[in-house]
Amino acid sequence: MLSLLPMRVFWQAAAVAFVVIGAAGAGVMLSIGGLPLLVRATVPAVIATVLSALVIGVLARQVNVALARHADAMRAHYERELARTTAELRNTLENMHQGVAMYDADYKLLTWNQRFREYLDMPDEFFSRDRSFIDYLRYVGARGEFGDQDIESVVAQRIEQLKHVHSFERTRPDGTVLEVYRAPTPDGGFIAIYTDITERKQAEQELMRAMEEAEAANRVKSGFLANMSHELRTPLNAIIGYSQMLQEEAQDAGQSEFVPDLTKIENAGKHLLGLINDILDLSKIEAGRMTVFVEETKVSSVVAEVRSIIEPLAAKNGNRLVVDCPDAIGAFETDITKLKQSLLNLLSNASKFTKNGTVTLAVTRDGDDRVVFRVTDTGIGMTEEQLGRLFQAFAQADSSTTRKFGGTGLGLAITRHFARMLGGDVTVTSQPGEGSTFTLVLPARQGEEAAAQPATTTKRAVSGDVAGERTVLVIDDDEAVHETVGGMLGREGYRVVHARNGRDALDMARKERPDAITLDVMMPHMDGWSVLTALKNDAELADIPVIMLTMLNERAIALQLGAAGYITKPIDWPQLSAMLRRFGGRGAGARVLIVDDDPEMRAVTRRILERSGHVVAEAANGEEGLAWLGSNAPPAVILLDLMMPVMDGFEFLERMRGSAAWRDVPVLVVTAKTLDSRDVETLRGLTQRIIDKGASTGIDLRAAIRDVLRSHETAPKAATV
Amino acid sequence: MAKILLVEDNEMNRDMLSRRLERKGFEVVMAPDGQQGIELAASEAPDLILMDMSLPVLDGWEATRRVKAADTTRKIPVIALTAHAMVGDREKAINAGCDDYDTKPVDFPRLLGKIETLLQREKE
Repeated sequence: MLSLLPMRVFWQAAAVAFVVIGAAGAGVMLSIGGLPLLVRATVPAVIATVLSALVIGVLARQVNVALARHADAMRAHYERELARTTAELRNTLENMHQGVAMYDADYKLLTWNQRFREYLDMPDEFFSRDRSFIDYLRYVGARGEFGDQDIESVVAQRIEQLKHVHSFERTRPDGTVLEVYRAPTPDGGFIAIYTDITERKQAEQELMRAMEEAEAANRVKSGFLANMSHELRTPLNAIIGYSQMLQEEAQDAGQSEFVPDLTKIENAGKHLLGLINDILDLSKIEAGRMTVFVEETKVSSVVAEVRSIIEPLAAKNGNRLVVDCPDAIGAFETDITKLKQSLLNLLSNASKFTKNGTVTLAVTRDGDDRVVFRVTDTGIGMTEEQLGRLFQAFAQADSSTTRKFGGTGLGLAITRHFARMLGGDVTVTSQPGEGSTFTLVLPARQGEEAAAQPATTTKRAVSGDVAGERTVLVIDDDEAVHETVGGMLGREGYRVVHARNGRDALDMARKERPDAITLDVMMPHMDGWSVLTALKNDAELADIPVIMLTMLNERAIALQLGAAGYITKPIDWPQLSAMLRRFGGRGAGARVLIVDDDPEMRAVTRRILERSGHVVAEAANGEEGLAWLGSNAPPAVILLDLMMPVMDGFEFLERMRGSAAWRDVPVLVVTAKTLDSRDVETLRGLTQRIIDKGASTGIDLRAAIRDVLRSHETAPKAATV
Repeated sequence: MAKILLVEDNEMNRDMLSRRLERKGFEVVMAPDGQQGIELAASEAPDLILMDMSLPVLDGWEATRRVKAADTTRKIPVIALTAHAMVGDREKAINAGCDDYDTKPVDFPRLLGKIETLLQREKE
């Protein structure tokens, strides 16, 4: 309590007080009574002065002590506050999931948490405040983490980076993955935050895997549908065929008592076949794999075919079949198979549910753009409730109907799907006991929606003079294609003109005489084949090169052949590099096997690939390719030409897929893109077969593709033998 | 007695069709794939060929083309048999050189009609 400080204050205050009071007192006395008074009063004055001084001194000291105590108390308070805040911050830092470190303007460590220590994987001595980030970088460089780059220049780069927010991933020695985030702080230093993203990465990888599995499953499903179609029909055809044959033989051998039973087998077989066809159709529709193939056809010819099939069926129930289809209806664009199937469905239903009555098919045109098929019967009709369930698959009016009248219950659902796919619909009216009327309405032209698009604007090249401009005509019914292809061509300096349906395509071609035409024969609504045919059949237009944007159904080929990708010649090198990177051909030393019979092609490809660090091996045909595979480690990627002598790409792929060691090597199939004015019909038929996979086996498909490509790639031959 | 060459890879289909044709009085020779089909067409000189389109080794389209390209077999009428009616089948068949086509499952009376028609034509 009586520390020196307060005492010093006491004495200082007392001394000052003494002087001041003494002087003041003396002054007063002098002024009152002059010097004699001062002399007489000296002793009492001095005593009074000293006493006052002492009092003032004590007072001063007390005040001082009080102030000091207050200051202490305040300091203690702030210190506690500070300690508390620091503890909270520290607590927060230590309990964070992330590693955090702050560095000052000299890049020395200011503060960090335990997690940061863990994540950094550095020796303990690095975690002190005199350690700088630069020390850390140099240590890490010496450890070899910068590869063979010069350590100091990397350090300089990294320091430069600190001026901006940046982040990157790093993998710890134990395999966990960190995200490192660094941001500059206002005082010139920076903060680093380390987050463990191992789980996130795993989740990403699982997602990728799930996606790949889903895609693979989807492919398997498509393949399954295609195979099942063939597998299911084959034995059924045997059942139907043999029972028919046995009926004939039984008749001939005078054993007609066997015929009724044999007929039952035949009918059951046909019924089953119908069911299978319908189910496969529905599966295909629901999987989004049902395609539409549009052609122009005379209405009357389709109606005639349908009539000849339905007549016996109608007669079976004692029904009269009336067909009203005036010639004037003419022709229209539609998918003939689907139209036939739909009409057969409606007419056979009408025949089944009518006894000794009349079934009528009336065809009319509704204006210029719609064709209406009306099927009327005088049969049992349907109630409101039955009508409601009518178009649902498997919900035939009621189950007793199936037993009584036969049928699959699927036909109408399919018919309606088909109608809608073609831009039309099926509707029904009915009166119980009086009969029903089904109305199928279809648009007359399939390019109608496209024709409603706004008029085209030609895209002019940015550079280039008009005289030197080359024109490309883009034909497609998909506006997106016009944007992308047209945009790309425009940027390349071409003048682009557009056509969105077959008629415009021919008009534009004649008017513009483009230098090239792009065409996609797989357009959903426009029949690219007829356009192509028309172009090639027109003497004036036949020489314009037509570039098929998709030559065949690429996915189909690629999938059928088990290829990972598909690249067209002439090869777009950046595209090739991108594909190689994607399929694991990245990095120095990745091996690529080129299988191609053209030595120049191999040489050019080799040069380009070697330049980007790949190691290239060559084979001149499938057989050499297999031999190479047999005596070397599997390459990262194979570039495969399809058309080669001795053993072509197809067989090579099939053999490869049969071997567990090579099955997973990604293969990029290389094939030609542009077509001359030849083989349009063959290619068209080929494409159709690919579309309808159910009708062809794997072998069939390959041979067909082989034919077309071979006749395209080699010089024109007089005869194919 | 007219000789028919049946080129069909499915054993049961071959059996059914050949027996029914034989019962109708035809002599039937058979080939299980396109390659043998071409060979038999040359060596057996049939009066008509029934060509299934989906065949191993060499498919029906190519086999037909070759048959139509070779002098010894060019004149033989060919009926294509396809798995089920597909659009464009008729044109495809004609382009490959087929004289007619029919669909499977085979409607025997209908097929017979087409056979008779072509054989009649050849006689003239």
